[in-house]
Amino acid sequence: MSGVRAKPTGSTLKTNSGAGRVLVAIYGIFALAATARASVQLITRFEEAPLAYLLSALAGLIYIVATITLARGTRGSRRLAFVAIIIELIGVITVGTLSVVDPEAFPRATLWSIYGIGYGFVPLVLPILGLALLWHTRPVNP
Amino acid sequence: MIDALAYSVIALAGVAVIWGIVTAIANKPPGKAQLVYAAALEIVTLGQSIIAVAKIIGGFRPVELATTIGYLIGIVILIPIAWFWANVERDRFSGIVLAVAALAVFAMTLRLLVLWTPAG
Repeated sequence: MSGVRAKPTGSTLKTNSGAGRVLVAIYGIFALAATARASVQLITRFEEAPLAYLLSALAGLIYIVATITLARGTRGSRRLAFVAIIIELIGVITVGTLSVVDPEAFPRATLWSIYGIGYGFVPLVLPILGLALLWHTRPVNP
Repeated sequence: MIDALAYSVIALAGVAVIWGIVTAIANKPPGKAQLVYAAALEIVTLGQSIIAVAKIIGGFRPVELATTIGYLIGIVILIPIAWFWANVERDRFSGIVLAVAALAVFAMTLRLLVLWTPAG
């Protein structure tokens, strides 16, 4: 891991290379899980909890954007990935906290309920790893 | 769903997870046997989904019909995509990519066993 960045040429590390590919794979699975979950919720019982289900859809969209931008790994897509992951982090912390403090507001579980407990808390760890990857692979000469 | 088939998928996927981690620790890309094994896991998973969908068409109604169908479709696309993504660049992380997909297949099959409860 270390030593690679010491090369004077720099910017050899990319979000779609090495360990970054594992994170892209995990993001891809969550993109699929969140989108599928939101689709089922919105199609079959939207009126039960519109807010929770729209948040599920937003989560799905964010995961899709993060997956594609991290997989592309270009400079422009890195910027988009950063925005998506920041929204993701805010989302999981906000929804997670609200679902603990006020369960009535979230009668239906979303992917981010209780910080993603239904998914082994991976939704909470994922944005942190995403930001770490962006930091670790940041261009040496901006 | 056939319980024996589901447990086979769970066992096969579990081995795939461990295999992926082992090659990553050994700092090797997945070997041919490992890739063939992943393909075999996909075939069994695909068989399970086809049988389950056939049962639904035949009249079986799980409590969460839409969710169950979503799982049955979603579970079969994981390994092929992971296979492709693992081979884009062949290194130790290729094994982890396969392991992540196999873990998802593992977890989704466990969930399918719960979902496969007749409605009312």
